[in-house]
Amino acid sequence: MDGNETEPSTQSDEQYAGSSEWVDMKNTSDEEKAENQTVNINFCGSTPLLWRAADIKMCREEVGVIGTLVGSLARQPRQNVRLGRPLEILQEEARLLVESGKATALRHKELDENKGSRSKAVELYKARLEQSYEEQCALALEDKKAVLQRVMDEKQNDLKYDEGAEQAVRERLESLEKSFSFPRSAMAVQLCTARAGFSQCPEEHAFLAADWPMPRDERSETRFRVYKDLRRKGFYLTAAGKFGGDYLVYPGDPLRFHAHFIALCLTMDEKLPICDLLAIARLGSNVKKTVLLCSPQNSSDRGEETEEEVVYSSLQWSGIV
Amino acid sequence: MAASGTQSTPLQLDFSNELLSSSELFESRSRNHKIPVRGQKEFLPNNSEQQKTCLQKTLDEHWMLVTEERVERVGNLVNAEWIPEEKLVKLKSPAGKFWQTMGFSDQGKQCLFPEEALYLMECGNVQVFYQDLPLSLQEGYESFLSAVTVTFHQYQVFSHLKRLGYVVNRFDTRLPSLYRQQLNMPLSNNRLSKQLKRKWNQSPGYRLCNKKSISSPEISAGQHEGEINTNVPCSSLEAPGQLQTQKAFQGEILKSDPESKRAQGRNWWTNIPSTPQPDSFQPSIWYWDFSCIFFPDLGSYNANCACLPPPDPSLLPGALQVRECHMAKWHRNINMKQEQWSKQERQREQNRHGCNINDDQSVRQCRNWVEYLELVEKRRSLQHNKKPTHFREQEVLPLAQPRKCSSHRELLEHINIIQSYDLLAKNSRLPGSEQWRITFNVYQPDTEFKKSCPGKPYTRLCVCSFDGPVPNFHVLKQLSLQSSDVSMTYAVVDHGDVSFYSFKEFQLPTDVY
Repeated sequence: MDGNETEPSTQSDEQYAGSSEWVDMKNTSDEEKAENQTVNINFCGSTPLLWRAADIKMCREEVGVIGTLVGSLARQPRQNVRLGRPLEILQEEARLLVESGKATALRHKELDENKGSRSKAVELYKARLEQSYEEQCALALEDKKAVLQRVMDEKQNDLKYDEGAEQAVRERLESLEKSFSFPRSAMAVQLCTARAGFSQCPEEHAFLAADWPMPRDERSETRFRVYKDLRRKGFYLTAAGKFGGDYLVYPGDPLRFHAHFIALCLTMDEKLPICDLLAIARLGSNVKKTVLLCSPQNSSDRGEETEEEVVYSSLQWSGIV
Repeated sequence: MAASGTQSTPLQLDFSNELLSSSELFESRSRNHKIPVRGQKEFLPNNSEQQKTCLQKTLDEHWMLVTEERVERVGNLVNAEWIPEEKLVKLKSPAGKFWQTMGFSDQGKQCLFPEEALYLMECGNVQVFYQDLPLSLQEGYESFLSAVTVTFHQYQVFSHLKRLGYVVNRFDTRLPSLYRQQLNMPLSNNRLSKQLKRKWNQSPGYRLCNKKSISSPEISAGQHEGEINTNVPCSSLEAPGQLQTQKAFQGEILKSDPESKRAQGRNWWTNIPSTPQPDSFQPSIWYWDFSCIFFPDLGSYNANCACLPPPDPSLLPGALQVRECHMAKWHRNINMKQEQWSKQERQREQNRHGCNINDDQSVRQCRNWVEYLELVEKRRSLQHNKKPTHFREQEVLPLAQPRKCSSHRELLEHINIIQSYDLLAKNSRLPGSEQWRITFNVYQPDTEFKKSCPGKPYTRLCVCSFDGPVPNFHVLKQLSLQSSDVSMTYAVVDHGDVSFYSFKEFQLPTDVY
């Protein structure tokens, strides 16, 4: 969308200003554009979710947020091999995105009850549906015409030229305009994934740090510091619940590479039972991954000479024969 | 409207780029439905061109799949409406094939639970409207999923299994226990009792029974068994609850107590000031007042009356009409039942109670269920406080005497102090916990599933998370008891990964004979 086209719409937006809330998705004024460019994190219960494809793409490519797709895939919904939007992200990822100013955490409000804005939105939705029907109708007619035209061309190029057949096709082509009907049931409609502009637009509110849906305790603080440090070092991280750890650490994009490490986040003075340690070390070697014990340094302990924010120790089960 | 360019331009501008244009919608009818295959993963990135192009190709496919929007023909969509007050989705056009396994009818309207509606939205089968506007999937997730309906984690498990083809429906925690079901207790769940009613009216056997009415001795027994059959598999008919009542009858008949003969109103069937709540949707407490429901006075059978007065209609399901009951025939019926017990069952019954419950004088003094339950409770608390007095009172003896055992097995049984523990055996009354509950019934995909008669589930599910605690033995036992003869599976959700665990009893093999 270039500048020339957007100019008139800015004006029309100003006319509606305040009265129509649905006009917020593709606004052209600079502030709104900026707001639109930040990633929206919507919480479902306490789980942070990304809904817009553009957000998901931006997060993966620019911030290295991988997450897990948890919805049914639009193309083939009844399978579990490849899933689709929404993308569930880790609490740490959500926090990093928000703290770096790349995203806004939004709280969902109850569906809007405002009669005035609703009736306007309904009107708009119906108008759009009607418009879409007429356009699809025209497209279907074009499509049919193109098919008949092609048949006619083939007939003409045929060596055994049959005038009668060609004539029949020509007649059909001519009568098509009048007889063509496009049933309403054949119209295609989109089932939106992310909240769409014409929808009721519940007022979403940015979270204040105090209402973050997950309490921030020592453990989440430890996990966050480890996450940040590993991310900074260029690793890709996903959840490692199935391996009994905190993160799976990948050297490259998880789509193409195997994870190398199972990261376990511990504070410096945390006591880990020896059987837990043995179990995870043994499990790690069985799945051909190295177990990493990751402990963030206390800021007071950290001397001038140590640059490292987090101390990593690897753990390998090795039998000496 | 579409023809005028001035109007269509702002319309186009107002929507996010995720809204498809008409031509995109039209083209999507010839969309490819194949999912590209991902190749083998590599170990280390080495910055080679080949790796880069490979990654780019995979990413491109990934984005294509993620960005794709659902497009359906209007004719293939079922329209529905979200009713937030009831937390239900009501259909506005006839249901599709999914009706075989999902949804229910309420007052002639086809309804879907929010999780079912959301799953069908994801499959592109249903379009849900709220106040004339279609809901996006995001709005569906945000409005449908909550602690009062189904949580996000529970929905993840639900949709995971649905995508695999399993039939999944809610487990009703308000469903009475096996014991209560067998006592012909009313169901607090309105919907279920409705279902029962319908079944009753449809069953031709029942109508026959009703017409024959009192002349047939089966009427009262049939009424019981019919009710049970609709709820539990027939095999469990002879479970403790019913046996106990039958025994109680028998005992009273044999030794008819002169006092009870005279006692007025001691009747199971009538004089109940019931306060039925037919239309309350909330989980209600049992509306039977147990202090007013007396044991059936079969003891007076010998003396004054030969028949029981008709039962209070409020205690019966639906349009049932039961007139007074001839006890002589019923009595015969009970005895017949007793003869059908197998040796094993009798043995089990004896083990369970130690002795015949009717030999117990204090039990016989109980006049109604409340008194009986109080007695049981009192005894239990006494047992808990009891000190092991026999240590001091009795002579200390070895567990096994020489020459008393003829085989290794017998010897082992004698010195076996700690009995092996059966998850389902003791019907202890564990207090239920709020955190742990069974959420779903799961049925296998290949079976011919019928909503009206779902049968025995393949398994029952409890949903938990790696972030939360691990179920302890108390929870395991409580949920297994609640699930009775169906196995329990624990579905653990971790950031989109769903894994299933089940705790099974294991009998250590004994190889000494």
